[in-house]
Order: sequence, then C-alpha cells, then structure tokens
Amino acid sequence: MGSDMGLIVKTMARATIPLIGIFGAYVISHGHLTPGGGFQGGATIAGAGILFLIAFGINEAKEKINKSLYSALEGLGGLVFLAAGMLGLSVAFFYNTLWHNGPIFNGEPGTLLSAGYLPIMNLAVGLKVYTGLVSAVFAMALFRRWRK
Amino acid sequence: MSFIVAFIWSFALWLVLTAGTNGMLWSLEELIAGIIFATIVGFSTRNIIGEKTQRFLNPIKWLGFIVYAVGPLFWGMAKANLDVAYRVVTGKIKPGIVRVPVDLENEAQYTILSNSITLTPGTLTVDACPEEKALYVHWIYVKEEEPKTSEPVAGSFEKWARRLGK
Repeated sequence: MGSDMGLIVKTMARATIPLIGIFGAYVISHGHLTPGGGFQGGATIAGAGILFLIAFGINEAKEKINKSLYSALEGLGGLVFLAAGMLGLSVAFFYNTLWHNGPIFNGEPGTLLSAGYLPIMNLAVGLKVYTGLVSAVFAMALFRRWRK
Repeated sequence: MSFIVAFIWSFALWLVLTAGTNGMLWSLEELIAGIIFATIVGFSTRNIIGEKTQRFLNPIKWLGFIVYAVGPLFWGMAKANLDVAYRVVTGKIKPGIVRVPVDLENEAQYTILSNSITLTPGTLTVDACPEEKALYVHWIYVKEEEPKTSEPVAGSFEKWARRLGK
C-alpha cells in the first residue's frame, strides 16, 4: 500500500495535470462547437485525476480526495442538467428556451455563448462524469487488500 | 503563489487552444471563460504543481528552454538517430546499464536531464536516484563501464539541465 512512482514520473505529473485539466475544460465548454462534449471532457479530466492517483500514490490521494465533496458535486451535476431541461417547461420538457428567447446563450451560432442550454448541460455532464469516474477509480484503489 | 503559476500555465494552454476565435486573436467571451476555467484548474492543482515553481515564470528561462530545444537537444537527437541507424544496419551493439553520477540539486533538473537522455536514441534512463546523486542509464553501446561524469553519456546536457532547472 502507498506505493508511488519515481521522481521523473512525479515531476512530469506535476507539470501535466493542470494541462490535462484545462484541456478537458476546453473540450467540455466547446462541446457545442467542436468534437467532444460533456462525457469526453469529463473523462479527460478524470484521466488527470487517475494520473494523480497513480503518480503520487494512494496515501497522498487520501489526503486530497474528499469523498463527501465528490459525492455532492456529482449530485449537483445531475441536478443542473435537470434544471436546464426544466427551463422551458411552460412549452415542453427540454424545450430550448434559452436559445429561442432567453437572455443569454443565444449569441451568433459558432461563438461560445450560443446553443441555448447545451453549454450548461455539457458543464453539468462533465462535472458529473469527472467526479463519478474519479470516485469509482479511487474506491477501487482503496479496496482493502488483494487476498485475505 | 503556486496558484498563480498553475493559473498562468493552464491559461497559456487555453489561449493556444482557442486562438483564432476573433480573426487571428481571441474573442472576449473566450478570454473570460478561459480566466474562469484556468482559475478553477489553478485552484484545484495549486498543491500539486510543486514548490518554488515561480522560478519558471522568468522569461529568461523560457528563452533558455527555446535555445536548448532548437540547439543542443535537436542537434543531439539528429546525431544520435543517425548513430542508431548505423547500429541497426551493422549490428554492432554492446548493451548495458551504467550508473552515471550527476551533480544536480532539484527534481526539475533531474527530470530535464533524464528526459533529454531518453530522447536521444541509444540511451534510456532507467531510474533516477537523487539520494545517491546518480542516474541509471541503459546504453546501446557501452563505451565506459563506470563513467565519472555524465559527459560520455549525455554530452553537454547536464550543464543545460542544471541551468534550466535552477
């Protein structure tokens, strides 16, 4: 238990974890413009979390990964998705009211603030996928021992 | 302080990714979104990025990295690739793992030197041991079994790594 990688892997992980994180955020937030979206970007950021877990070892990860926070954020992602779907409830469920007459997210197609509720949903799905995957992998890494 | 380093490091990648949204430059909304996301990423990774990383915000150091990448490193890679092609054709190899004593202080210097050694074909860093100030390098053609410095293995890379990671 508690094994971690050598010095080179750790130093490279220190440098690349912020880069993977911001790239995942880019994929999520441009889900309506470029290939990718909530799931793909969330899985990318979860890759950064798994890199952290593998490079720095389980003991370091135990201090940094907070179970309640991740659990709450996963729930929040689902709730925001549902709330975005409810926005146009006076017409229909999942009616994209932000795009048709909403105050924001109705810019010119191709710009960042367009496509109505899609960016919000992508962010919600990305948050949910990231926290869910990291929690799942971390729980497996904490599995008590290989054999009794 | 390390929050600012992580913020700048991730915001620079965001700028590279989103360039061209307003002509050749960036539209305002992309910049604001970048600041928000880079703040989140920088805040989450501020304890991971390491201590004293603000020394890499020095523009003179960036210049040093560029000069190193296009100068000694590129030249060393070109030379070593031709050498490996020669060894593939003729089959003259004498492989072995040698212990290379190095005189470096911090993790960044070890990483730069190890990655440079691995990038030049024919040599491959197996392990870096800062406690005994040595690298273990797998060499395709061992010229010296117990080198006293890193000169026969890595050329001038150790000097550069010491300067760039300081």
